[in-house]
Amino acid sequence: MVATKKYDVIDQSTGALDRSIFIDEAVYQEELEKIFGRAWLMIGHESLVPNTNDFFHTYMGEDPVILTRDNNGELHAMLNMCRHRGNRIIRADDGNAKNFMCTYHGWTFSSDGSLEHVPGEERVYFNELNKSELGLVQARVDTYAGIVFATWDHEAPTLEEYLGDARWYLDLSFNRRDGGQQALGPLKWMEPVNWKTPVDNCSDNYHVPVSHLSSILADEKVWGVPKRTAESQFNTEDRKHLFVNGHSLTIGEVSPEQPRYGHGVVEDNRHHFVKYQKDTLPEVEKRLGSKRARGLLLGNHSLFPNTVLGFRLALPRGPLMTEFWHFVLYDKDAPPEIKDALRWGLTGHNGAAGSFEQDDIDNWRSVTEASKSPIARRYNQKLVMGIGHSGPHEEYPGDVATRYISESNQRNFYNRWEEFMNAESWADIPIDPITADFDGTATMKD
Amino acid sequence: MTISEVSTKDLWYDINHFYIQEAWLLDERKFKQWLNIFTEDVFYFIPRRKNVYRKDLSREITKYGDLAILEESKRDLQMRIARLDTGMAWAEDPPSRTRHIIANLVVEPLENGEVKAKTAFLLYKSHLEYDQDLYAGMREDILRQVDGEWKVSRRTIVLDANVLLTKNVSVFF
Ligand code: FES
Ligand SMILES: [Fe+2]
Repeated sequence: MVATKKYDVIDQSTGALDRSIFIDEAVYQEELEKIFGRAWLMIGHESLVPNTNDFFHTYMGEDPVILTRDNNGELHAMLNMCRHRGNRIIRADDGNAKNFMCTYHGWTFSSDGSLEHVPGEERVYFNELNKSELGLVQARVDTYAGIVFATWDHEAPTLEEYLGDARWYLDLSFNRRDGGQQALGPLKWMEPVNWKTPVDNCSDNYHVPVSHLSSILADEKVWGVPKRTAESQFNTEDRKHLFVNGHSLTIGEVSPEQPRYGHGVVEDNRHHFVKYQKDTLPEVEKRLGSKRARGLLLGNHSLFPNTVLGFRLALPRGPLMTEFWHFVLYDKDAPPEIKDALRWGLTGHNGAAGSFEQDDIDNWRSVTEASKSPIARRYNQKLVMGIGHSGPHEEYPGDVATRYISESNQRNFYNRWEEFMNAESWADIPIDPITADFDGTATMKD
Repeated sequence: MTISEVSTKDLWYDINHFYIQEAWLLDERKFKQWLNIFTEDVFYFIPRRKNVYRKDLSREITKYGDLAILEESKRDLQMRIARLDTGMAWAEDPPSRTRHIIANLVVEPLENGEVKAKTAFLLYKSHLEYDQDLYAGMREDILRQVDGEWKVSRRTIVLDANVLLTKNVSVFF
């Protein structure tokens, strides 16, 4: 059955974007079902539940979810909802427990989600309860480089297909070392913005030299960080802005020696990062092949729908509110000076108090709130930049813009949104074939 | 004058006065003067406050080395203040209107001559037209005498919120 096209929010030939998608409650409810109910969603990291019976409380969209590692070491992502009346059975951020007792009437579930014990099973339920059908609601779970994803849709393609060629780029940050990565966090706060705005902003490099100029200048003055001028951002020779299979990416072409990190690298500690790059290059080259290991760096990016810039989440909380989760990921085998610098630098710039992040919020909020007024909604957002100036590239998979600063990823993102919103099922949602040459030994799991 | 020569009552009075002065510096936006209350080697630390079961309370406040809200040196604080002077620190331009209420002071002289001081605080922030935040928490400082003046060499700020109900933490504690 062909779905009737319902949403037509982005005009690809003019870049006009309908503002009502940021504000309309009915659209929002449909997003929870058709996007957050279908897509593979990032929910955590294996290192947050290292031991059997560890749990980590997370969300898929608005739904509370328990990530566990059961007695056999298997991961589960389960709706935090007692199957009796619906009470939350976990109320803490994380911990370790063999089983979870609901605090309402005492139904008890094991760490793999099965319903283990029901008070009065014999006397008041007359042994007529089919406990095997009343386990916690399970999502499909899979991992990429230790990052845990889950989907409610059992017809969804595999995670590998869902990430597609985006993984060719993501490996540049998340799949470098044999020893894998460690996640820290999350740090959580509320941004009064529609969830789509921070996601689309991840490859909006146009805003950086304006929104973040005060921090760029202060970082240069106090820390000797080379200045990101408008000129260096507009220059496109060694940077790319591209879109693959729903995911927005930016990359830089760099020398083999250049450290692969941004925030956290300052004049005083740069030598540690130079050394780390030199020491790890052979291992990274074995894992990713020479093209990726020696010549590329991953920049700002987002995964459809709501994984933001590295390892962060934009969790929808109504049309005008987003709960933001900031994690830091670093290589488990990195030396302490690298770990300390990344933890400090990533959070000092992009956390709740981040010198960069704090200047984003009122911009994102205002572009969202402008959609409230029927007068303002007569005037579309203008995502017109670079129309007709992107396409396939001989070296890089995806729709590659010929300028680093472009709005082609934004147009593609809202197009992907339409594809999900207009589909009756996963059968209607296009998936790009995997075409990249995954040179090297790194895989989804190792 | 060394600490041992000061009565606890006088010490309490001095430190309390120090905190009252500090609160006025912050609320009157005299940030460069505020920076002077810290030693050169200050560590300004805001751990995360986790929501955990009673049996796990030893993990409620994250330790150094785990992800924090901020872990700053004096240079970091200088950078944050330098930002404000550019006229382009959009989170604070127009600036927040703040009120720091610092209370419940307890002082504890340490053997090395330094003083540990614990306070509770409420910080009200009003921003732009309609935004307001209320932060509640505690501060634990280590204070040291430098050239006859008290300076803070370590400040740990423990907020009471788990998810921060704020659009950004653009103010100082
Ligand atoms: S709601 Fe959980 S036992 Fe009744
Ligand atoms: Fe930004």
